[in-house]
Formats: sequence, C-alpha cells, structure tokens
Amino acid sequence: MAPRPCAVLGIGQTKYKRRRDDVTLDGLVREATLRALEDAGATFDDIDAIVIGKAPDALEGVMMPLLSLADALGAIGKPIHRVHTAGSVGASTAISAVNLVESGMYDTVLTIAYEKQSEGNATWALSGGKSGGQGAGGTFAPWIRNYIARSQAPEHIGWMVAVKDRLNALKNEYAHLHLPDISVEKVRESPMLWDPLHFLESCPSSDGAAAMVLGNDDIAKKSGRPPAWVISHAKRTEFGQFPGRDTVRPQAGVECSEALYRKAGITNPREQIDCAELYVPFSWYEPMWLEGHLIAEEGEGWKMTDAGDTELGGSFPVNMSGGVLSSNPIGASGMIRCLEAANQVRGTAGEYQVPGAKISIGHAYGGAAQYYAMWMVSSELNPEL
Amino acid sequence: MPQLHDVDYTLEYPYTRTTGPVIGPFLTGLRDGRILGQRCGDRVLCPPMEFDPDTFATLEPDLVEVGPGGVVVNWTWVAEPSAKHPFDRPFGFAFIKLDGADTDLVHAVDTGGDPEAMNTGMRVRAQFRDERHGSVADVYFVPEGDAADQVIQPGEEPVTITEHLIGLRINEPLYPHRARFAQGLLDGKIIGQRSPVTGKVYVPGRGYDNMSRVLMSEADEVEVSDVGTVVAFTELNPVQYYGQTETEPYVRCSILFDGTDQPVIGIDIRDMTVDEMRVGMRMRCIWRDPDERSVEDIDNRYGNIPETVYARFEPTGEPDIPADELKEHSW
Repeated sequence: MAPRPCAVLGIGQTKYKRRRDDVTLDGLVREATLRALEDAGATFDDIDAIVIGKAPDALEGVMMPLLSLADALGAIGKPIHRVHTAGSVGASTAISAVNLVESGMYDTVLTIAYEKQSEGNATWALSGGKSGGQGAGGTFAPWIRNYIARSQAPEHIGWMVAVKDRLNALKNEYAHLHLPDISVEKVRESPMLWDPLHFLESCPSSDGAAAMVLGNDDIAKKSGRPPAWVISHAKRTEFGQFPGRDTVRPQAGVECSEALYRKAGITNPREQIDCAELYVPFSWYEPMWLEGHLIAEEGEGWKMTDAGDTELGGSFPVNMSGGVLSSNPIGASGMIRCLEAANQVRGTAGEYQVPGAKISIGHAYGGAAQYYAMWMVSSELNPEL
Repeated sequence: MPQLHDVDYTLEYPYTRTTGPVIGPFLTGLRDGRILGQRCGDRVLCPPMEFDPDTFATLEPDLVEVGPGGVVVNWTWVAEPSAKHPFDRPFGFAFIKLDGADTDLVHAVDTGGDPEAMNTGMRVRAQFRDERHGSVADVYFVPEGDAADQVIQPGEEPVTITEHLIGLRINEPLYPHRARFAQGLLDGKIIGQRSPVTGKVYVPGRGYDNMSRVLMSEADEVEVSDVGTVVAFTELNPVQYYGQTETEPYVRCSILFDGTDQPVIGIDIRDMTVDEMRVGMRMRCIWRDPDERSVEDIDNRYGNIPETVYARFEPTGEPDIPADELKEHSW
C-alpha cells in the first residue's frame, strides 16, 4: 500500500537565545507549539498524536522529559512518543512524525523538539560529567583537518561560511546570533578553539524550541494552508568507531542521501534541488556535507562555497535561515533545518526566501557523525523535476 | 581474574531552572511566607500552572493567596527517609487541598515521626523554614494543632532562577574485560582483543566485535606493542564546567598501536605542543614506575590509557607513516 501523503501545515519557532530566562521549560515548548498550531489553523483538539525529541537528558537534568511535558503539550488521552538520536534528533523526530501520518495511523500529528542549554552544560554532559571533556569541536577538528588535506581547500573557506551564515541570520528574527559587523577578518582573528576552528566558526549554545503540525492529504486540503509536501525522507546509522571508517565522508551519510534522492527520483541533486538547510555546527561542515551528501563531487564542495553558490542569492543556497552556526538549541537544531526547508517551499521564509523555491532539503547529523536524518519537501506533491 | 576497584562515582551537575511568569511568583511567595495559587476560570490551582489543565489554554499570570491551612485528601508514609527528603525522621507525603484552592498540593507533613497522627481528612497548616531560598522546600506542613504562629521577613528580589544539584551515583564492578585491560596497564602492558572472525585487533576490547557481532573473551586477548602511530590529534582549550579540573590548553591524540586495527583515543600529551604533532608520527609509551601506576579513573564507559599509567609519550624518531595509509583510522 502506498504511504499516505504527508504535508507540513504549521510551523512554530521560539526566539533562540543564550538563556530564555523569561520562560519555564513548559513555557518554551508551548511557545513553539502554539505558534505551529496557529499557523496550521488548528487547536490541540485537532492533534491525534505527539512526537517529541531532544538531545540527551543530561543536558538539562530532566529525566524522561516527555512525561513532565505531556500536559503542557496537550497530550492527555493521546499517544506521545519520544525520539533520541543525539544531535540529529530534531530531524529524526520530524521524520518519525511523518511515518505516523504516512502509515495512515493518524491524520494530524504534532512534532516538537527543544533544548534549554542554559539549564546545564553541554560539554559537561558530553564528557560523561568528567573533567577533561573533549566536546564536539575537539572531536570534529581532526576530521576537518583531514578534509582540508584531502580536498586541498584554502583556509578561508571556513571563514566564508561563518560570515555567510551570520549575514543570513540577520534576516531571521528568531536567530540567536545577530552579528551585523561580522567579517572574514573578525572570524580569522577570533580565538582559535580547536585548530582550524576559530570561535566565530563554531555554533552558539542556545535555548529554544521548534514545532510542526503535519497532516495527511485530506487534512492539507481542509486546512487551506500552504503545504510543504514531504516527498522523501531517510535515516541511516553507522558505528562511531570501526576499522575502515571514513570520518570525512561517512558511509551512512552517503547512503542516507542516496536513499533520499532515489525515493524522490532525484538524479542530479545540485540541479534539481533549489536550496538546502544542512546541519553545519562548525563552518567546515558546509563543504563536507555538500560532498558527503552528493550535492558536489568529492573535492569540489569547497569550490561551491568559494564561488558564492551557497549564498542566499547563489545557485544553491545553503542555510538561508542562518543555520546551526547562528542558533543551536541542540535537540531542536535538526527540526529547525527541516522546518526551514519547509518554509522555503511554502513561500513563508520572509526576508530569507529563495524566490520560487520548489524543492528543498533539511538535514541533521548526530553523535560522532554517525546518525543521519534527511527530508525533502516540495510545494507540490508530485513535482516536475 | 584480577580484583580491581569497583566503579564508584557520582555524576552530578548544578542545573538551573528558569521559573517563568507563574512558578516564579509562587516560589517568591514561599520565600516570603505566602502560598499562592493561580486563577483558572472560577477555580484556583495550587500548585499554580501556566495553562488550563483541561483545555491547555495559556493562563495569564493571576495569583491569589491560599492556605496556610488545608485538608489532607490522601497520604502515604515514608518510614525510612533518604538524605534528599525534607526530614530526617519518618514523615508523610500528602495531597493537601489548601483553603481557597481547588486542586491538591503534594507536600510533606511532619507529625514528629508518628504515622498514627496521619489521617485522611485531617487539618494541616503550613510552617515556613527559617532559611528560605525560593524553593518548594521552604515550606512544610504540620497537624493544625501543632502549628506555631510565624513572622516571616519577606526577601527582596523576585525568584526568577533556581539551582538544583542533581546527581546519580554509579556503583558497579568493572566488567571483566575492562578489569583485565586495566590490570594490563598496571603491569605495563596494552591488552587488545583479536576478533575470532576477522583477526582485527581492538584496543581496548569491548568484549565483542561490533563489526562481526561475536563475543570476544579472555581467550581472544593479546598483548600489543606500546609503540604506535599518531592518527589524529586536537588541542583542547578546557571549557570551565562544573567538575572540570583542567585549566590550561593541552594536546589529546589517538594512537594506532602496532599490530592493532583501531586507535586508542583520548591520550593526553602534556609535554609537546600542537605544532610538534603530526598525523603519521611514530610514538612510544614511556611507562611510569610500576608502583606509581594507577587505573582508578578507568570505568566501564570512560578511560582508555590514562595519564596515571604513563610518564609521557615520546617520538621514536622513525620516519612518519604517510597519512594516506592511515585514512581508515583517522579518529
């Protein structure tokens, strides 16, 4: 049986900030949820099931938060599911919600992801609570150096991505970082955190939540809201360590994108996809994912960045919203990529809209670059490629 | 099997909570000797909520004083209090409907340790602690007849954020393969596990080969060389989080020991700078004297080759291994 078509019908985001000191955790997730419901023209009564995701519980020290948040999300008498795939969780959560609609099990599903990073310390949590933690940047830096060595990319590529995403963020009212005077010089001169990553090439630590209302084709018709049809999605996993692992171009990432494109009939992603929201927490991951997800040939990704192709006005815009480099409520960051891809094809991306965007992708990765979740959305259910 | 230390540590962090527009005033009230409920239509909710529990509609903050007296609606008895409980003697946890409230507050009732003094339907009254921090533990309840009149001096700033040291004690024996690996380090040996399927050698072994999905036991263990090749390194500028003892930048590297197929990650290098490190560089372990070695930091999840067993790693002076040949080990 063919899956039920599934569309994004409502999108809600909070303002992302270093510390959202004006709200509780309940208040934070409700802020995004109520905006998504309003955007969908729906109420809690219309929701059949809820799918929630966040990064490890140790980040806030709230164990099994889905239980305490169930009331705040209107889940009484309804199923609530929690998804957990480290940093990729926001996108995995959205895809799990899509599965529930596609299966025909539920008509309308609310999906939400969040992080309130200010309540704990991510590096502490990622270090198992022990001294001497390496953190995400320390883990990824040697792989980035390997990418640079392999691709012969010039060092300014990372700086360019850092500037481009922060300039895009100036057009996004929800973005955490608004750095109007960002420049390549400022990035280059900011402190070196993990060679070759400077402070301004790294993501911030944010509080925030993101939510979507998903519905099947009947609900989409009734809602009258512009739909973003989820025309393809894929998740893949690999071990964090094994002999033969390519950390620069992980096999699970390659296979995830192959599956994503195959299902949608995409044969030339660079030409057939209009724009992408890729999970880029450290600047160099833009060219690495352009290659690792088959948008560019191996060794060619950095040339797209260098040529300005990934800028908002370029031929393949990436992270129009400002990306993870501008807002990073970890658990929500993958869902933000997914909903910003949906914003583009719904024509609701405001100042950072790519004119006429018809097909877009949202992407996230997690753990030691070992979990992948990607979705493709379109303004049409069966778009002409 | 060697008898080494049990793992015993407490994973804890002083988490904070932002209290928001309804819980903040509630906690401020407790600090100031008042219990506040939130209006919700014609009802009063205590503890207060930010939304209507029936319709989930957001409630505008509208707080009203309730109590200090109330009725026990239901209760249970805590016969053996733990360190985190509000009393060091047996006490009751009760659903208390405070005067003026329409919902029940779960809270502690002190009857001086006497369970016979607890009854459904009994009247209780709030008592405030001498030291109050804007916490739900600033208050407790006693049978109404035992209550003392109190004069409470209000605090100054409203409560907007609270701190909670939340922890989990982990106490377990080392897994047998971890114990053998740790004992090897004490003996100045690096012990790996050779997959019975592929012949690949993993250090430290996990007790199974995750690629071939077979168990690996003591019979699969081999001593490997303490000379190897740097396959990755990074310089850490320590993030100053709770429990962090590192203050200065240092280098951390992964070393692929000769005859193995998986690098040992997380080896700390203190006497070389990042500029002196190269992928492909040959290094040897210089062990500490046997009586100066310790493996206390090794648990079942963290700790590979800790600094407490080696004096340093030093370059052997051999020619570097070309980085291309290390591609599949670069983590």
